[in-house]
Amino acid sequence: MALRRVLAIARKSLGQLAHDRRTVAFVLLVPLVLMLVFGYGFGGQPTHIATVVVNEDRGPAGAAFLAALPGGVLDLTASGSNASAWSTVNSGGAWAAIVIGPNFTANAKTGTASITLYLDGTSPTIAAAVVSAVQTALERALASNGTAGSPVRLTSDYVYGSSSTPFIDTIAPGIMALAILFITTVLSIIVLVRERSAGLLERLFASPLRPAEFVAGHAVGLSVVVLAQAAVLFVSALAIFHATFAGNLLFAYGVLLLFGVGNLGLGMLLSAAARSEFQAIQFIPLLLIPQILFAGALFPIEAIPLSFRPISDILPLTYAARALQDILLRGWGVAGVAVDLLALGIYAVLMLGGAMVLVRRQA
Amino acid sequence: MTALADVTLEVPSGLVLGLLGPNGAGKTTLIRILLGLTRPTAGDASIFGRPVGHPSARARVGYMPQDVALYTDLTVEENLELFGRLYGLRGARLRARSREVLAVVHLAERRRSLVAELSGGMRRRVSFAAALLPDPDLLLLDEPTVGVDPELRSEFWEYFHHLTESGKTIVLTTHYLEEANRADRVVFLHGGAILATGSPEEVKARTGASSLEETFLRLVRARTGGRT
Repeated sequence: MALRRVLAIARKSLGQLAHDRRTVAFVLLVPLVLMLVFGYGFGGQPTHIATVVVNEDRGPAGAAFLAALPGGVLDLTASGSNASAWSTVNSGGAWAAIVIGPNFTANAKTGTASITLYLDGTSPTIAAAVVSAVQTALERALASNGTAGSPVRLTSDYVYGSSSTPFIDTIAPGIMALAILFITTVLSIIVLVRERSAGLLERLFASPLRPAEFVAGHAVGLSVVVLAQAAVLFVSALAIFHATFAGNLLFAYGVLLLFGVGNLGLGMLLSAAARSEFQAIQFIPLLLIPQILFAGALFPIEAIPLSFRPISDILPLTYAARALQDILLRGWGVAGVAVDLLALGIYAVLMLGGAMVLVRRQA
Repeated sequence: MTALADVTLEVPSGLVLGLLGPNGAGKTTLIRILLGLTRPTAGDASIFGRPVGHPSARARVGYMPQDVALYTDLTVEENLELFGRLYGLRGARLRARSREVLAVVHLAERRRSLVAELSGGMRRRVSFAAALLPDPDLLLLDEPTVGVDPELRSEFWEYFHHLTESGKTIVLTTHYLEEANRADRVVFLHGGAILATGSPEEVKARTGASSLEETFLRLVRARTGGRT
């Protein structure tokens, strides 16, 4: 492999970009848009949940409980009776009703106080948020009242993160890996399809250029693109979402690049294997959708049914997302993510090697 | 289907060899075999004593494909620089050589234009310039003069002979049988087989025809037993 010819191909790829401002804009805007869309669209706990309250308690404990509800989560509206509260939830006027019984203060002293919740369980996320807000408030109110809320005291000590870690921090590494997967796959599939359909692949291989040099040259050229995109991802996570990362950003950058190069190899390999542009484009959803769902980038792998979990073991995004989460959220170094790095390294070598073999057959 | 059968041909250096014949005769297939782009199902080919397709053989061959293959989103100069670098040219020598070949095809002042902005004929000229760029010992030109106006076509032929005088070899295909009169040697291909080979004067004399076109028709008739 001659470095001179590898660089000639890389220079060609970047030259094409330099003449095509729209594609440059696309390449830089897409990571930003993905970060915004996933960050805002995906990023939050539910807030301002319409809730009705019935407080029949004559003592101070009921009011203390209501005052202890975490701010912003529930939008409370008072209601006269148990029955009207229920019917408000039943008619869709509220997601939940909180009913504080008449002897709440008195019973609190004996440890028998109870609160009734009517929940619209059609959105489990919202129902869980209501239950969690009510439990938090109960613990706070009863503790300040000098009454033990429960005979068991639970102590949570966060090893990583805290109860107040913003959601965007936890999901940003997954978004980054997903954005790089998305863009590198699409770009590399299209690059080879274009070269082939214009007869350029043949023209190039009539010169002393070797297939390995062709693949390596494109990998170098597109790596520059990946580096720019990763920069956009980091800057937008930090500047727009004020994400705070515990780990080494440069190390995370390197992981994104390694992952991107593997994807480039995969894209070129599939593009070379396809008989037509149409076939090549069809690989895109096939590659992306299982990874979005099964790789633990956005949803935890623990949320996948047990029998499907082995799928995540064969998806490259699983290793990229886990490595980024470990580096950025847990602050781990090379030793902590060695397995993921090894997996990504094997992925890159296999895909680039496969692309070299298939491109040779094309020529 | 075999595109070529029983074609044995040796091209001496320092000549312009014209591959003549109708569409489907096997002209392009023969050129592609010489480049190593198509692997023959039987038989073999070598260039300068090396098997075709070997990088050291490819390094000495300039190629102009029948359909222009250039990066339309790059400038003329950037295309030439890419191909030059692939053949090992660099720096000042690459730039000087680019200017030289662009002067040959009369496109020096368009070197900063995107290929997408050029007419079809101009693109063919750039494609020819790219083939000349590495100063190869053998030029394989597939229809180099299609879409090139007659004046420039004549200049191209002068340039071909200028190259062969310095020891280069040119193998080209053409539809224009009359321009093939200017080749040192012609090979008539028909249905993947060689009908005749020799200098234009020799093949014409052999059939008693006055033109290459007439020669070709007589050769085809003789082969198919009068049926055309």
